[in-house]
Parts: sequence; structure tokens; C-alpha cells
Amino acid sequence: MKELEKTKRISIAATLFILAVIIGLLTYKRPKNVYAINTKDTLEKITSTSYFTTLEELKNPEYVLIDIRNQYEFEKGHLENAINIYAAEILSEDNIKVFEELKESNKTAILYGNNPQEVNAPFLILYQLGFDNIKLLAIENSYLQNKLISKNTVVEKSTADITAFINESVKKSNTVETVKTVVAPPKKVITVEKKKKAAAEGGC
Amino acid sequence: MVKKKIAKVLSFRYKILAGVLLLLAGGLVLLPKYQKHEGIKPEELLSNTISPERYMTTDRLAHIIINQDPSFILIDVRDEKSFASYTLPNAINIPLEKLFDEGSDSYLNQNQFDVVLFSNDNFYADQAWILCNRLGYKHMRVLKGGINQWYTTIINPMKPAENMSAAEYELYATRKAASMFFGVVYPEQVKAEAPEIVKEAPKKVITVEKKKKAAAEGGC
Repeated sequence: MKELEKTKRISIAATLFILAVIIGLLTYKRPKNVYAINTKDTLEKITSTSYFTTLEELKNPEYVLIDIRNQYEFEKGHLENAINIYAAEILSEDNIKVFEELKESNKTAILYGNNPQEVNAPFLILYQLGFDNIKLLAIENSYLQNKLISKNTVVEKSTADITAFINESVKKSNTVETVKTVVAPPKKVITVEKKKKAAAEGGC
Repeated sequence: MVKKKIAKVLSFRYKILAGVLLLLAGGLVLLPKYQKHEGIKPEELLSNTISPERYMTTDRLAHIIINQDPSFILIDVRDEKSFASYTLPNAINIPLEKLFDEGSDSYLNQNQFDVVLFSNDNFYADQAWILCNRLGYKHMRVLKGGINQWYTTIINPMKPAENMSAAEYELYATRKAASMFFGVVYPEQVKAEAPEIVKEAPKKVITVEKKKKAAAEGGC
């Protein structure tokens, strides 16, 4: 009798345990997006390889344009044959699928936005997820009469030499300016002749 | 005979059961290997990078430098050459390639200071920020517009046009004062030092009164 009770307890415990394991397995989900490379390798790659393209290089048939701006801006004007994938939704299942398909078919995804800075974040995140078939289009967009105008830009270009500017301003201040004093022509003094008092005329 | 054999097997039943359970437990240990990756989740990283929270304006930074706020560290992620030619006061140079070298970690991964990253614009600084954010480093900021913006707003602020609001003028005055702090000298400063031109006293015109001709005196 004692033996039977013991078996009962053990079998109940065992089934519960196995149930827990099975439930665990069923609910276990692989995370959707996993980084393929660590930060150190990413840093090495982005500092050693060139990932910029220009408008002239877009003729390559292997390139697929991807517009990371929002839908409103995309509809307002976009480059020819571009696909719209908004930056904030770049990691959704459908969009990741797009990138995977591009990778499988050996095509290069060209990301662009209103300026290169805007594309930086989505680009770098996709890059870390292992999509090394992406490039960044270094352009700046503007609108002229509702028409999109894109032109090439260079990132991290220093626009001004600040040291030179400061030195110049100091130099300017050191050369004492010769203050020109415009000598005004002497005022003409018009002396109003006083009317002579009528002289006492002689009379009788 | 058969009964005996079954009894023999059954005597091991607890061990067999324990074996099965151990096997399953071992399987559980192996599973999470998929999930192991460095840093925060990609989704989290994306939402962090899209929010403009990390940006600091040049005006704010100028204010911090002028007040000598000790809780900020400035880090220049440009190369050594640009760093040597011009940088912000008291900035530390960690070129982007050397971001994860030994020694830079003590500046980046700490809780005492706020770190402000900057480069010529904010492209490289952003990249450094994204990588650090993935590793979970806190208190990181990026100077919006970088050195170029610093030049156009603080060092060489544009004089507002006459039709602009008073607020614009006020901003210009603050920026100009800030630029003087950072070493720019304005010609007006010098003019103020120039000696004042002493106005000559207007010449007195002395009109010599003509002697009146002796009036014809009446007489008979």
C-alpha cells in the first residue's frame, strides 16, 4: 500500500514536469531579429568599407532603391522605382522579408532619405542584423514647386575652418583702424544784416 | 519467468524516469543559445535611434561650456588631424575607429558624467551613439549638426534681418556673446576703444558791427 502511494506521487510529479517542458517548448519563440555581427566587427566594417553611393551609380541594374521616409513624403515625390519602407517599421516581418529576398537574389538595397543623417540609423541596424548588401545613397532632397530635387552631398565635410576664422577676427582687431574723420566744410555764416533803424531824419 | 523479468525492469523504473527527466532538462539548457546576442534587442535599438532625444543643440552646449558644468564630457569622434586643427574646449579625442579600444571604455561606459559626442556633422557621432546604445551605455548625447552647426550658430552667428522678431535679436546677442567667449573678436569692440572725436566748438562769428554812418542830422 505504501509502495503504491509512492509510485502515484512520482508519476504525478513526472507528468507535471513533462507537461511543463512541453508547454515551454510550444511557447518558445525564436526572437524575430537577431544580430549577426557584434559591435566591434560592425565598427571595423563601417570604418574600413565604403557604403556610400551617388546618384550617378544608380543605373546599376542590381540596385534596388528603398525610400525610408514616411508615406506622406514618399507620395509627395520620390526617386524612380523606389520602394517605400518607413524607417520605424524597418524591422517588421514583411519588411525584413523584402531585405532577405534581395539578399538571396544578390541585389543591393540602396537606402535613401531626405539627408544621409536620417538614413544612418536604419542603415546601421540592418547592417548589424547581417544584411551586408545595403548601401547608403548620399543625397539631399529638397522640393521646388512640388518637385523633388535630389543632389549628391558628402557627409562629415568640414564647411569652415574655425581656427582660421577666429585668428582672422583677432588680427582684424589688432590693426587699429584709422578712423577717418570727415571734416565738414565750415558752415557758412549768413549774417543777417540788421535793418538799420531809420535814422532820425532831419526835419524842421 | 516473465513476471520476474518485468519485476527486474520495474525495479529500475525510478532510474529510467530520472534519466528521461535529465535528458529533457539538458535539452532546455541547449535551447536558449539562439537568443544570445550582444546588447539590447534590435527593435529596442531602432526605437531608441529614431527618437531625437539624444540630440543636444549647440546653444545648450555653449551654455554648458561657458558655465563650466562639470557633469559633461565632450568627445570628438573625428580623426586626429581635424581634432588638432579645431575642437571644442576640453574635448577628448576618440576617433570612430578606436571607439572600442581599451581606455575609451572608461569614458563611455560610466554613470557619473553625461557624454556629448560630436563630429563635423552628426553622422559619425550618430554611428558611435548607435553602437554604444546597443551595448547599453547610458548618458550619451550627440551634438546636433556637429562642428559645422557650431560654426554657423555660435562662432559666426548670422545677424538677424531688420524685420525679424525681438526673440531673434536676443538669440543673436547671446550667441554673439558666446562667440566672444570662444575667442572671436568683433570690430565693434575695437571701435568702442577708439578715442572719441572731440567736437570742435563752433567758431564764434564775430560780426563786426559797422559803424553807423553818422546819420544825417536834421538841422536847419
